[in-house]
Amino acid sequence: MSISKRHTIIILVLLLLLPIIALVHLFAGQINIDGSDYLSSIFSYDSTDSYQIIAREIRIPRMIMAIIAGAGLSIAGLLMQTLFNNPLAGPYVLGINSGASLFVAFSIMTGIPFFTSTLGITANALIGAFVFGMIILFFSRFLRSQVSLLLVGLMLGSFTGALVSLTQTISEADELKVFTLWALGSLQKVEFGQILPIFSVFFTGIILVAFTSKSLNILVLGEENARLLGVNIKKARLFIIILTALFTGLITAFCGPIAFIGLAVPNLVRMIFKTQSHLTLLISCALTGAIFILLCDICIQLIEPHFMIPINVFTSIVGAPFVVFIILKKLR
Amino acid sequence: MIDFQNLTVGYQSALVSFSDMKLNKGAIYALIGRNGIGKSTFLKTITGQLKPVNGTIQLNDRLISDITFGEIPKFISYVESRFPLVEFLSVYDYIALGRSPYTNLLGKLKEEDRALIQKTIDQLNIGHLSRRFTSELSDGERQLISIAKAVVQQTDLIVLDEPTAFLDYANKEEVLSQLQQIAVNMEKCIIVATHDIDLVLDKTIQFILIDETEKTGKLYPSATKNEIISTCFKSIQL
Repeated sequence: MSISKRHTIIILVLLLLLPIIALVHLFAGQINIDGSDYLSSIFSYDSTDSYQIIAREIRIPRMIMAIIAGAGLSIAGLLMQTLFNNPLAGPYVLGINSGASLFVAFSIMTGIPFFTSTLGITANALIGAFVFGMIILFFSRFLRSQVSLLLVGLMLGSFTGALVSLTQTISEADELKVFTLWALGSLQKVEFGQILPIFSVFFTGIILVAFTSKSLNILVLGEENARLLGVNIKKARLFIIILTALFTGLITAFCGPIAFIGLAVPNLVRMIFKTQSHLTLLISCALTGAIFILLCDICIQLIEPHFMIPINVFTSIVGAPFVVFIILKKLR
Repeated sequence: MIDFQNLTVGYQSALVSFSDMKLNKGAIYALIGRNGIGKSTFLKTITGQLKPVNGTIQLNDRLISDITFGEIPKFISYVESRFPLVEFLSVYDYIALGRSPYTNLLGKLKEEDRALIQKTIDQLNIGHLSRRFTSELSDGERQLISIAKAVVQQTDLIVLDEPTAFLDYANKEEVLSQLQQIAVNMEKCIIVATHDIDLVLDKTIQFILIDETEKTGKLYPSATKNEIISTCFKSIQL
């Protein structure tokens, strides 16, 4: 079987699995909701029917946000890994999530109505992610080793963590509560009415990211080779950082920080597909990331009757051992 | 094909000056000089990465400085001495990257691109490598696929920076023989920066020698080993 045929088959399997797992996710909660309630909640919504309310305001947004978060963070991780030629890079490890978190903390703690609104938090998360993306890009110009870049990312994370703690100590109790709940990370914060605008931004990012695939394919050869094959390195870098910030900022604003997806999924996908064709990798990362978070969230819903686990905690429990496995594999 | 007029190369200040010379298609030119004399600076200037300190370079009657950044890979292909270490990059996909200056925004290969890649693979006798990963190849095989990538780029000028540096004797001969065939059969102008003097002697290869003390480069249609040493390596003469 040719390589491209094998890739097509795996992608088709993932495409088939995604809606099945999404459906399982919809029906995994504690309260049994029929398929007809889901259909009614969308096409003939009755705001007095508690089953339809749960379906429309909790289950559907949670499922869609799981897909968006998984796909977006995995793509952001792949972009970072190729841009920095570092398989251990990712928006969380390099401090881009931390940048978004810091700006959201500032946003919430100001207490100014606009900044505490959804739009204000989203805008600040996007700006924070972009600013920290540019900072890590700036440092990467002076660093030769892959480990140094990761250490700078770690330091950025610690630095922002300290600033966030400092902000918390001087903030009011109400604002502190809002921020603490946000920082736990959850797929449940989004309302039905917010899905369309969030999905529109996400979908625009997906379309734009497809057009980076050619540059990404060439960038794996290193910047000098890429330049000699006609890639405008400065523009490519900036475009990749903007897209990473878009995905990371959007998801961080609505779901809080979610760790390890951006690092683990692209590595898992590369191991399965064994290719450097970034169009294939981008599609597969989006599908695998979405399936991965849906599965994590199904587990969370099954455990929920006993105790609550934030999504960030669960992805860390699953993702961290996988990352250690990757490190051991690379070192051997 | 490529004309050098009053050329001086360097970063901020002048490093090497070259006599006026014209290089033609169908020939190989060996660029020889001491380490640090300015060979790489010369290559970077030819490939449009550096501006000349003085003078002009004309490629097919067009000034290199007038060729836009995006157009350069359609005129000049460049082979680095160090091969990029990338996992899961197949040989076919690597060679296909040479077509990227001609592909659409998504980098999709057309039927004619695939035909050219396959033809080049056949011409260089590397069909047995095409489904392997580049990380699994020997240094000699890597040089051959780098040359294949440069060939599918379909440029009149191919520039190679020390392509035989890490190869054993048999692979050095193989790479040079392939380059000679490409130059003659495909009508390419090939410039090779090299330290392998013995390898390029007694072949139909011309020389661009950089004088060690005068810091000047000049075209020699032919040269003996003594002439090369007495020009490029004056300080080691007894």
